[in-house]
Amino acid sequence: MNNYSLITIIIIYLAVLFYLAFLAEKKRQSKWVNNPYVYTLSLAVYCSAWTYYGSVGIAANSGINFLSIYLGPVIAAPLWIVVLRKIIRISKQHKISSIADFISLRYGNSRFLGALVTIVCLFGTLPYISLQLKAVSETFEIMSDDTSYVSTTVMDDSTFYVALLLAIFATFFGTQHADASEKHKGIIATVAFESVLKLVFFLAIGVYVTFYLFDGTTDIYNQISKAENFKQLTTLDGVEDGFNWFFLIGLSFMAIFLLPRQFQVSVLENNREKHLKKAIWLFPLYLLLFNMFVIFIAWAGKITFGSTENAEYYSLLLPLEHGNSFLATLVFLGGFSAVISMVIVSTLALSTMVSNNLIIPYGFLDKFIKNQPERNSKYIKNIRRISIFTIIISAYFFYVLFSKELSLYSIGLISFVIISQLAPSFFIGLYWNRGSSRAAIIGILIGFFITIYTLVLPFTLQAYTGTDNFTQFGLFGISVLKPYALFGIHFLSPPAHAFFWSMTFNIMAYLVFSLTSKGNYRERNYAEMFVDSKNFTTLQDNALVWKGEAHVIDIKNVLIRFLGEQRATRALKIFFTKYKLPQDTQLADARLINFSEKLLTGSIGSASAKILIASVVKEEQVSLVEVLKILEESKENIVSNKALLDKSNELSQLSSKLKDVNEELRSKDKQKDEFLDTVAHELKTPVTGIRAATELLMDEEDDMPPEIKTQFLKNILQDSDRLGRLIHNILDFEKFETGRLHLDLHYQDLQKTIVKAINSIAQVAAKKEVQIINKNVHSFKATYDEDRILQVLTNLLSNAIKFCNEKVGVIIVDFKLGNGHVEISVTDNGKGIPTEDHDFIFDKFYQSQHQNTLKPQGSGLGLAITKQIVEKHEGKIWAKKDVKKGAILVFTIPFK
Amino acid sequence: MKKRHEQKLVVLALALFLIFNIPFILVFNVEGAVLGIPVLYFSIFSIWLLSIVISYIVLKRHYE
Repeated sequence: MNNYSLITIIIIYLAVLFYLAFLAEKKRQSKWVNNPYVYTLSLAVYCSAWTYYGSVGIAANSGINFLSIYLGPVIAAPLWIVVLRKIIRISKQHKISSIADFISLRYGNSRFLGALVTIVCLFGTLPYISLQLKAVSETFEIMSDDTSYVSTTVMDDSTFYVALLLAIFATFFGTQHADASEKHKGIIATVAFESVLKLVFFLAIGVYVTFYLFDGTTDIYNQISKAENFKQLTTLDGVEDGFNWFFLIGLSFMAIFLLPRQFQVSVLENNREKHLKKAIWLFPLYLLLFNMFVIFIAWAGKITFGSTENAEYYSLLLPLEHGNSFLATLVFLGGFSAVISMVIVSTLALSTMVSNNLIIPYGFLDKFIKNQPERNSKYIKNIRRISIFTIIISAYFFYVLFSKELSLYSIGLISFVIISQLAPSFFIGLYWNRGSSRAAIIGILIGFFITIYTLVLPFTLQAYTGTDNFTQFGLFGISVLKPYALFGIHFLSPPAHAFFWSMTFNIMAYLVFSLTSKGNYRERNYAEMFVDSKNFTTLQDNALVWKGEAHVIDIKNVLIRFLGEQRATRALKIFFTKYKLPQDTQLADARLINFSEKLLTGSIGSASAKILIASVVKEEQVSLVEVLKILEESKENIVSNKALLDKSNELSQLSSKLKDVNEELRSKDKQKDEFLDTVAHELKTPVTGIRAATELLMDEEDDMPPEIKTQFLKNILQDSDRLGRLIHNILDFEKFETGRLHLDLHYQDLQKTIVKAINSIAQVAAKKEVQIINKNVHSFKATYDEDRILQVLTNLLSNAIKFCNEKVGVIIVDFKLGNGHVEISVTDNGKGIPTEDHDFIFDKFYQSQHQNTLKPQGSGLGLAITKQIVEKHEGKIWAKKDVKKGAILVFTIPFK
Repeated sequence: MKKRHEQKLVVLALALFLIFNIPFILVFNVEGAVLGIPVLYFSIFSIWLLSIVISYIVLKRHYE
């Protein structure tokens, strides 16, 4: 393919990306831009050209080590639910706009620490960006058939122009807002798109090589297994190699949190916390897919070309070798995508850091205070724009100077080791409130210098002097100081070796200095906020302890400089409304200080925000003890507020219970009234009958036929019997209620009693053609009052008959022995007991709402009396619940 | 998400850390191949996939 068509393809592709980013910015709220898949794919910015080309190179040359770079993130992903969520919450709460901001804020808005983190990130990322440019340039060379093409000057080099285009892209979509904590939806959308492309194209070349050029995985395996260093490619070389492997996994574990571009996409560009739900499993899956074919491409290349000189670009060389330039172009575009997303996100993150943590706090603050608001926001944007260009151009020159001699893999690892120096102050600081800013600074500096000495210096010296004396003999010829074998540890690879020594000293320095030096009160305040972030989120602006004199008008003036008159006024209005303060408040309190610092953090970084606010207020020193006491008090306030809330909930529950009881009482009262009505009615009916019959008998004494007379007399007798029974019932019940009943207890046969009860009611049953079955025919002796138990049985049986249907009704009487009691049950197949009545049928006066007759049957005392009798026998009575058809009433009598 | 379910994922990370490192990883450090994939690679990929499935299930069931 000639240069021009290749350049045309690149330009068209970039135009598509511009358009996509533009669309996404325009539809910021659309669900196409805000979803967990875009979030997960944007995390895949982790897979840069290093993954795309470098992995294959390592797999072909040294074996399995390329995998360790992805296993760290795989181990880290499940932890995100705890760690990353905490980081995201803190960052959102404080409007943090970069990892430098995050670390400097944790250590009390330390200006120097912010700058140091920025410098470490610059050192760690510049070579990494240059690595990407190197990949573009080399793949471009491979793709263009003009093999004699060698760039002689910068102006001739197409990579330089690609770098410029990327800078323009990053500037355009990265600096739309002066507030850097705003989301960059356009950039994220393109990154997600590119992540899809690079994965699909890489899988495509994997499938092509494995299944088209070769006959599947087994074929490649069989052919490569004849290679002489085959064992080295497929296994770890013992425990020493295992240590390398271990340190590289540790390195990549830290990198997935700390790389500026990862922090940018995973924390700052996170729209919703719940997107983590998908990312935690989807991101490892993405990485898995990306790594599946690496070894096969590498081995296929090795088999095809013999030498491993250009192993990194096998995925391009293989299709070109077989004349498939279309597929090669796709692969080239995939690699180009990986480059673009990495370079753009990295420079975006770095430019924010450089402007907010380096340039603004160290030089531009005074200028800003004098300036007009519009010009300030323009200045901030311009600083970032210039930073972006400077970073990309510096990366280009780094590439021209050094990268040509280094592989993608070694540059990538140098970056990782440098960035990992932030790990102790970042991770430990997140969970340990004593970590102090001085300790963080010392730790990072020591770790950084050890990394420079053991990793960066050797290759730089070699590039300049052309000899490897330094590596061979150590500094001044002292062999203990050999950069790749410090103090005689010689078995680790250079990156693992550098990581081991720098991390050891870094962590130890951090821990020791944290314990020996006490931080100032501001530092401890932020430490508490970060470590105990859950509790402090509820404190909101109260979480900052501050004492002094400040005027709202001064603070407002500062805010206006950066936000403009309108936004500053609105923000203050919201603040006053939120805390129920009068709008014309004169003196500012700790809450307003904290609120304004947060407002400014996004635009100028946390350190500058602190300096700016401090310049207009008179702050008094607060002692550390006081800070802790105040924080404790405000936390206690929240706890006691919560306790109050609980108490009030309890009270409302109690009152609702009271209401229920009252309701019950009312219904009992109503039942009693109804009962009295019923009783009066019941008593009145026979009396009326008797009276009418008697009157008739008296009036027509002579001419009444004797048979009718007898009938009337019979009626009178029946009615008086009924009356007698009713009165007896009422008296009986009265006796039970007042506890005057005495049982006539005898030791006798229960079976016989049951037979007696059935016989006494057999007439009534026969009339309704209901069958009564006595199931248990064995005799069993217990102590009870026979008459009373007969009364119970008769009552239960007559109830059962009453609710049974004619002809088909079956009633079963049964008894079983339990632990110390005999359980007698009466089962019928009638209409059953409605569930809502279950708890009440044994209450006196209670009559089911569901009786279909208007006049209630019976007095409403039957079951209540029954219950009293059973309980007097120290037994229990209940109706079985969840019976499908009919009802089962059960009572127990104890025996010895 | 309840603390207990979050801790499931933390334990998963811990298990992965142990199994992917020495001395555990040396268990799989043998020659030979499964389906044309060397045993070491094959074991790492399988554990990797298993961890994805576990996190998927835990998150699907318990993330609120």
